[in-house]
Amino acid sequence: MSQMPKQFISVSSQEEALAQLDAHGEELQILAGGTDLMVQLQQSGQRAQRLLHIENIPGLRNITCNGVTGIGALCTHRQIAESTSLDNYRSLRQAAAQVGGWQTQMVGTIGGNVVNASPAADTLPPLLIHNARVTLVSQSGGSRAVELGRFLLGRRQTDRRHDELVSGITLARRPERGRDCYIKVGRRSATEVAIVGLAACVTPGRDGRTLEDVRLAICSVCPMPKRLYEVEHLMQGEEISEALLEEAGEIMLKHIDPIDDVRASKRYRSMVAPRVLKHAIACCIENVSGDLRPWN
Amino acid sequence: MELIFRVNGRSERLELQGHETLLDVLRNDLCLTGTKDGCREGECGACTVLVNGRAVDSCIYAAMAAYDADIETVEGLAKNAGLNSLQNAFAESGGVQCGFCTPGFLMMLTALLDKYPHPDRDLVRDALSGNICRCTGYAQIEEAVARHVEQRSGE
Amino acid sequence: MSVLGESLVRTDAAGKLTGEARYTVDYDARDLLHGALLRSPVPAGRIKAIDTAAAESLPGVRCVVTARDVPDTLAGWVLRETPLFAGKQVRFEGEPLAGVAADTPEQAKAAIAAIKLDIAETEAVGDMKAALTENAPLVHPEWKSYQPTSGEDYPRYGNIASELVADNDDVDVAFQNADLIVEDEFTSNRQYQAYIEPKSAVGIYRDGRYTIHTGHQYPFNIRDRVAQYLAVRPSQVRVIGHSIGGGFGAKLDTGLEPYAAIMSKLAGGRPVKLVNNRTEDMLTCPSRENATMKIRSALDKQGNLLGRELICHMDNGAYSGEMAFMPSVIFHLAGSVYKVGNIRVIARLVYTNTAPTGAMRGVCGVYFSAFQERHMDHIADELGVDRREYRLNNLVKSGDSLLNGQVLDDADLLRKGFEKMEEAAPWKQQDKNKKNWHGIGIAAGTWITNSMPGSVQLKLNEDGSITVVTAATDNGSGAVSMGITQIVAEHFGLTADDIVVTMPDTDVAGYDGGSQGSRTTHIVGRAAGIAADELKGMIFDVAAGMLEAGKDDLEMVDGQVGVVGDPTSRMPLGDIATAATWSRGPLSASGSYTTEPVPFNPGCASGMLFPYFPTPTYHVHFAEVEVNPVTGNVRVVRYIVVQEVGRVINPAGVRGQIQGAVVQGIGHALYESLRIRGARYLERSLEAYRLPLAVDMPEVEIITMEHPHSLGPFGAKGVGEPAIILAPAVIACAVSDALGKPFNRIPVSPEEVLEAIVEKEKQG
Repeated sequence: MSQMPKQFISVSSQEEALAQLDAHGEELQILAGGTDLMVQLQQSGQRAQRLLHIENIPGLRNITCNGVTGIGALCTHRQIAESTSLDNYRSLRQAAAQVGGWQTQMVGTIGGNVVNASPAADTLPPLLIHNARVTLVSQSGGSRAVELGRFLLGRRQTDRRHDELVSGITLARRPERGRDCYIKVGRRSATEVAIVGLAACVTPGRDGRTLEDVRLAICSVCPMPKRLYEVEHLMQGEEISEALLEEAGEIMLKHIDPIDDVRASKRYRSMVAPRVLKHAIACCIENVSGDLRPWN
Repeated sequence: MELIFRVNGRSERLELQGHETLLDVLRNDLCLTGTKDGCREGECGACTVLVNGRAVDSCIYAAMAAYDADIETVEGLAKNAGLNSLQNAFAESGGVQCGFCTPGFLMMLTALLDKYPHPDRDLVRDALSGNICRCTGYAQIEEAVARHVEQRSGE
Repeated sequence: MSVLGESLVRTDAAGKLTGEARYTVDYDARDLLHGALLRSPVPAGRIKAIDTAAAESLPGVRCVVTARDVPDTLAGWVLRETPLFAGKQVRFEGEPLAGVAADTPEQAKAAIAAIKLDIAETEAVGDMKAALTENAPLVHPEWKSYQPTSGEDYPRYGNIASELVADNDDVDVAFQNADLIVEDEFTSNRQYQAYIEPKSAVGIYRDGRYTIHTGHQYPFNIRDRVAQYLAVRPSQVRVIGHSIGGGFGAKLDTGLEPYAAIMSKLAGGRPVKLVNNRTEDMLTCPSRENATMKIRSALDKQGNLLGRELICHMDNGAYSGEMAFMPSVIFHLAGSVYKVGNIRVIARLVYTNTAPTGAMRGVCGVYFSAFQERHMDHIADELGVDRREYRLNNLVKSGDSLLNGQVLDDADLLRKGFEKMEEAAPWKQQDKNKKNWHGIGIAAGTWITNSMPGSVQLKLNEDGSITVVTAATDNGSGAVSMGITQIVAEHFGLTADDIVVTMPDTDVAGYDGGSQGSRTTHIVGRAAGIAADELKGMIFDVAAGMLEAGKDDLEMVDGQVGVVGDPTSRMPLGDIATAATWSRGPLSASGSYTTEPVPFNPGCASGMLFPYFPTPTYHVHFAEVEVNPVTGNVRVVRYIVVQEVGRVINPAGVRGQIQGAVVQGIGHALYESLRIRGARYLERSLEAYRLPLAVDMPEVEIITMEHPHSLGPFGAKGVGEPAIILAPAVIACAVSDALGKPFNRIPVSPEEVLEAIVEKEKQG
């Protein structure tokens, strides 16, 4: 309790938020749904900071699909999970439906998930495979958009400046015949911090044998969620085969750095990750969700 | 700092420091102890209340974030006539044992049923992923929801 | 109208559904102080200094307490070995070192943070292997000086807190003559009870007495233990019960109660409330012990068991509580289901520098059954015979004896259980039809109904209702809010609305052995029956005069007394009560009951602290699991319980106990584990300690076998515990079946499963 921030500033417009950030950004901690931040503040004894509550800013809760798909930073996980406008981004909907329990999903936001930059953030692998760009706004600098892959700098570190607010995320158009999915490994079927989370988007070749395009991203096995470009490169244009999938798994293992933690051992993560990759590719090819939760 | 909000339909005005959780304010300042503290990390769901109709873990929700909001807690469910239909269904199905998780389950289900009045069993189970019951093994809670839905559609 | 066998709503349901129910943590008072404890940050160490000066001078602080401020004594259920605060030596991470009571929780925490602690960390005895190595440091170097609470000592030495040995020379002969020897080694980890209400307590010191508010499974044990710690007579401690937010065995001995009591005394009698946060609760909870077991069986060519050797080590943690009884439980279980021939049992309780373990639902039985059933599967596989068939051929029968010589009168119920199970899920058919990655398991168990005494006072009120005064507690099971309520109602032809059961209060009610071992409905229900018979006699005495009839000509129907065969003569109980109150005085009667001791052979083993296995019940479980070939996760797709219950008082209640127990058992089989590294728990939050969720749990198919017990209330026996003991067993057996590889560790981990899958894939 003694470490909790002493002040709470609630803003009701983006302009107000930007003005606060411009003036006091360094000492302000931005609070949206608070499902990560409030746990951290209660448990970790973080330095007392002031909270800037942005949950009530109107206009940041929309999902727009005119040409580009845009997701407001305050869109909640549950909103995304249930949004039929995101049907082309099945992996994102699947991931959002598996962030914590429904209480977390009802208030936790996509913007929060992105800025929090947890190594285990479920929504980040799907955003990465859909070449998401993060829109940041500030009073002095206007607006800029950064590729998510560049926005994430490390474990819980991002390119956000103290005076900036993440206002939304845009997704690239999904490849026309592409199919995507998010496969999450947890010991239970829900309310797990991912042991491994992998998003895949595969465009099968018109010949039915080759992989025209493959995009892969993974979380919980490296300091921050990331694309697996090396594996994608290996598979692109190749004919699908057991040998190719084996090799893909091996290359993947060279580019991730799983650790032992209370949720799973390094050994388990290393064993399961290549299997999840295979499973995800197979699900994309068969165009099924592949969700490991029982009812799917 | 001043917090003004409505709890179970009543306007409340409180003086806070700014860092309090909604759970602590409900339990300590308003003596609404029906909302329970099970983990303080948003894992068990015993502290679930509705904030503008959304089910939130009040242990990790800042009270000040509820400024001007409508809060519903377990104390607001029963009306003058007695238990509401969902509460009755819990009693009749044996969905209550030790009862410590019960308020959280009721509030989560209230939010669910508001949006999905006829949830199938899989949806109910999914929606309860943030609520832990250590006593019942869940079967009679799921049955209570089914009973409530059935009785309500019979009305 | 009978209320027996009716799914009546539990009497405390409405309060729990509206938020009105008051748990200990909800206790409040205008002068309430908030307590906090300083807990040891190291698992083992010598305390060099605890400087509380800075803490004492902080605002709002009303008292600071350490070992210096409390009686210099040790307390304990079986052995007086536990200090209230560690004074010289720390024996586990989380052990209390000091306490603070202050005006607000924040002030109490700030004061705790201001206490200067100087501990020289010493080598911790981190696990049983370390404890049992030669020249291992002793967790209690002064073990010899400890006094057994009952006065009678028992086998214990060095790091062994309690030991049972049952030996038989013929065992070695059996192994020499064996055609086949099957050997297994098993382990199981700790399981946290994980009640949703973390422990809490309120202590109030007034007029030289301590009053304690606590939602607790065993108020009289709190009374006695607090009295030990604070060196007062037990009658100087009053324990008042509250709604209990779950217990499962963790709320049987003291948690925070004595600390709240002593702090209230030091703070001038203001009430002091202590509440564990979840991490404190996990670090100090008397969780189900981790255990290892080696089983070796000697068989002849036909597969008959000639002899068995069983060596079990159970992790006691730093202090033994009631654990000293547990080696005896292993001994009884060893002969309770299958014929074992000549047997050697060595069961040891081992001290380590870890949190003290305790009794979780189905003590010892949960892992014992898993080990025994896996071993049975192993033997059947070696012999090339069907697993179910092999069990049937070796079941104990009615008239057979446990290893202590106690005769099992009804053991044929085991065979009947298998038959009932066969009707629900024909074994060969299940085996034949199972899909890829699926496996099945079947297991049998015998369990006790705890025999400890209970008592009831029934008061007939002038409005015709009956108040039941008892210290029996309802931990959520419904044993009081359904069981006792319905039993009393039935005796008088009343409805549940006519019955009021008091909350426990040790000043008011007679002794009660607590909600443990499935005892409350059986024992207290019986005590209620005895009281009811006496009260009925009094009622008939009064009514006979009012109706001008012979006492023997009266009957009680639907809460009225009348002359047999004459419906017009009926008189409401309220009229009789009122008349009695103003003529001869109010009517009340008491009943007490405890299971009569069972004949047994005291010479059969040394260290048999728990000499027999009272009022056994018999059970068979079946599970089908599906292994996920991608992740190694296991899902239970079908679960069936055949449970002997004596008599069903409330079907919804029985179902809730069985479903809930199985789910806790599945949790332990697949997820739940407090792992120890360097004498510390790895799991320290509910995020890390995964509890079963609705999405993953099957709806258990329940078949109850009614077999009324002659002394049980309307024939009822215990129900709450048995359904947990076989869940890890059938699941471990089913996973082993699915993958054709033995799984001999509880919980079954996805890592281990995935390794087996990979191995299987390599073999093609």
